[in-house]
Amino acid sequence: MGGDSNKRKRSESDGGGEEQPPERKMEILPSMIKNKEKRSAVHAKLKQQKKLEKRKKAKARDAAEKRALELGEEPPAKKIPKTIENTREVDETVCKPDDEELFAGNDADEFSSILKRESNPKILITTCRFNSSRGPEFIKELLSVIPNATYYKRGTYDLKKIVEYANKKDFTSLIVVHTNRREPDALLIIGLPAGPTAHFKLSKLVLRKDIKNHGNPTSHEPELVLNNFTTRLGHRIGRLIQSLFPQEPNFRGRRVVTFHNQRDFIFFRHHRYIFEEKETKQIESKGKKTKDANAESGPNGKVIARLQECGPRFTLKLISLQHGTFDTKGGEYEWVHKPEMDTSRRRFFL
Amino acid sequence: MPRTTTLECPGCPPLRALTFDELGLIKVIEARGQQGRAEPKVVERWGEPDSSKSVLAASIDDRKSDPLLAVARRNGTIEVLNPLNGGLRIAVTNSSDNGGDDPVAGLHLFAKKNSELASRSCTLLTCTTNGNASVRSFELTKPAADVASSGSSRTWSVGAGGSISCSKVDGSENYFLFGGKRVEMNVWDLDSCAKIWTAKPPPKNSLGIFTPTWFTSATFLSKDDHRKFVAGTNGHEVRLYDISAQRRPVISFDFRETAIKSVAEDIDGYTIYAGNGSGDLASFDIRTGKLLGCFLGKCSGSIRSIARHPDFPVIASCGLDSYLRLWNVKTRQLLSAVYLKQHLSNVLFDSNFADEEADIVNPPTDRLQHDELSVAERDEGETRPVKKKKSKEKNGSKKEAKAKGRNKEEVSSLGRRDDGETPPVKRKKSKENKGSEKEASEESGCKKLKSKKSSKRPKREDVDSTS
Repeated sequence: MGGDSNKRKRSESDGGGEEQPPERKMEILPSMIKNKEKRSAVHAKLKQQKKLEKRKKAKARDAAEKRALELGEEPPAKKIPKTIENTREVDETVCKPDDEELFAGNDADEFSSILKRESNPKILITTCRFNSSRGPEFIKELLSVIPNATYYKRGTYDLKKIVEYANKKDFTSLIVVHTNRREPDALLIIGLPAGPTAHFKLSKLVLRKDIKNHGNPTSHEPELVLNNFTTRLGHRIGRLIQSLFPQEPNFRGRRVVTFHNQRDFIFFRHHRYIFEEKETKQIESKGKKTKDANAESGPNGKVIARLQECGPRFTLKLISLQHGTFDTKGGEYEWVHKPEMDTSRRRFFL
Repeated sequence: MPRTTTLECPGCPPLRALTFDELGLIKVIEARGQQGRAEPKVVERWGEPDSSKSVLAASIDDRKSDPLLAVARRNGTIEVLNPLNGGLRIAVTNSSDNGGDDPVAGLHLFAKKNSELASRSCTLLTCTTNGNASVRSFELTKPAADVASSGSSRTWSVGAGGSISCSKVDGSENYFLFGGKRVEMNVWDLDSCAKIWTAKPPPKNSLGIFTPTWFTSATFLSKDDHRKFVAGTNGHEVRLYDISAQRRPVISFDFRETAIKSVAEDIDGYTIYAGNGSGDLASFDIRTGKLLGCFLGKCSGSIRSIARHPDFPVIASCGLDSYLRLWNVKTRQLLSAVYLKQHLSNVLFDSNFADEEADIVNPPTDRLQHDELSVAERDEGETRPVKKKKSKEKNGSKKEAKAKGRNKEEVSSLGRRDDGETPPVKRKKSKENKGSEKEASEESGCKKLKSKKSSKRPKREDVDSTS
């Protein structure tokens, strides 16, 4: 077998060698060798070489850094690793800060009256028809997260009827929690009276009681953090989420609600924070943390922020954004997720 | 280096398109450069962003000298502009007796009546949602602020209790049709302001369920025939109506799952383009009701408007995803996409632009050829009406018969395949097809076709020999 393959290789190299002889030698990959023992040996050798090279590089880099430190020079700039986010596909819909059309569009959209503080958000939360176990618990926690929200039992009403009712009662948004097999799996946020309807997939739900060392939120208006909603669609989703919360947070409550978008997944977190001075902390508690903190900071009290998670933790993914209120049959979509969009890992829409 | 897929846009022929959006902006997109490889760009933007000036309907009269563009806005004004530089010619407020909550659903700028009356006035047909239609003509010589209408002004009510969502005027500009939510398709004679035809809703289905009428879009099938038109419904159906045949649709077929939002016709007289609420765009052969193919291109927002370029094989689509997309009709390939930042409501082509541009850019020989081609195309389009009606109808029916013959075979083969796989839904579809075909055959009144059913073989040979 081995001889055979060698022969073939030779013949191949003879054939192709006339055109580009230097490249040809480099091109023999271990995967092209047919004998397994030989292949694995070559492969191991290659791997070892690579490892050594890598180590050498790292050593050189460290040495350069050290030398720079000794000489008191600027250390060489650290290289930024390539991630999927920073190599994302170029998107022309990304909002630019100096785009006057964007601001005009913002002024004209459905949320502008709430976001300009002309009216207060008032939220109606309801569920799908069958709702049990984790569903009600989740809703209880949502009610504690979103101020000025009320829960209505779904009953057997059509969603369109509920939208009508909510319009009449001057609600500004409607949230529907959809459960499947007693597990919340979808979230529908409907802007009222004319606003868009966003349909999210809900996953990775962790309720408050399952979070270790969780805190209990107060009833103050929370601060809102919206991260990474960059494109026009993302901007719109961000504004939709923003319109659920009061625009004037009560900073006394030290409560933050975060919607963090990363690779089109929106992560929801709910925290309490506190600013503490180092010295007080020294007295209060002992342990690893304080020791580390001591090593870092000097004797004069330095203010640090501590976080405590409270409230549910979940992840949203946008499925569709519909123009107008809920209408699956005759509705017009502003954006629908279609399978042909998933041809690249580096294409993001929010 | 990470692999990134670049959008392969081959570029498009030199053209000029106008888009209208929800903030009342009008954007001019021009593709200049080598024929077939031009990159379209936004060259101009007219108007200031204002949501109350959101454009509802637009119509263009792109003649060679002194072209006009009419735009209906949400606040009730209708503006007549110069499509070359955006200069405002006149602004008219819609008839004041109905309040602000009666937006314009359809607008048409008459081309022929203008030419008769010289280029000093323009005639507009407006149709509001509540069913107030009016034909008014205005003098263009007066200053822009002057509102008073001059000459003939007729207003009549066409509403039937529902809300009108689409209206269209045929090529000869003697007839117009409309339809909407709870309004069946109507055809009116513009000279006498009289209704000449109304559609009849299709019968209840096998379960006894009646789908309420809700038309969302309509278009005449060809420029010189006011009797055939295509309508799209909210229940994702595309229907072909023939006034001369019957009041129910001649052919109707489903397209995907969401409401049809726009329908446009090709100049060949049988291809239509339909776009729906979730961003799918497809072309159909309306003679048989068969899907020719979909236009694939990651389009994710509802398609509000489709326009066919008069000369090049290009269509433009735009909608809620705020992209203007240009497609090749033949290959159904995306030529290019332009991001326009707002929800778009309408797109129109300015057909004269190509002429001006090509003279400068292209070598004259190419241009000549192209001119000849386009002239030939136009001739084809124009010679048809000159022929006597009878012969034309015969031709048409023959063609249709042929097409049907072919279609029959296809349908039967489809049916067989379906039987093999036995998905219940599909089989139903084929049945529907057959049903519609039956209707079609009744419509054309060809007895041959009926006899064909009993004896398929010899007829098929016949068809082959004729074709």
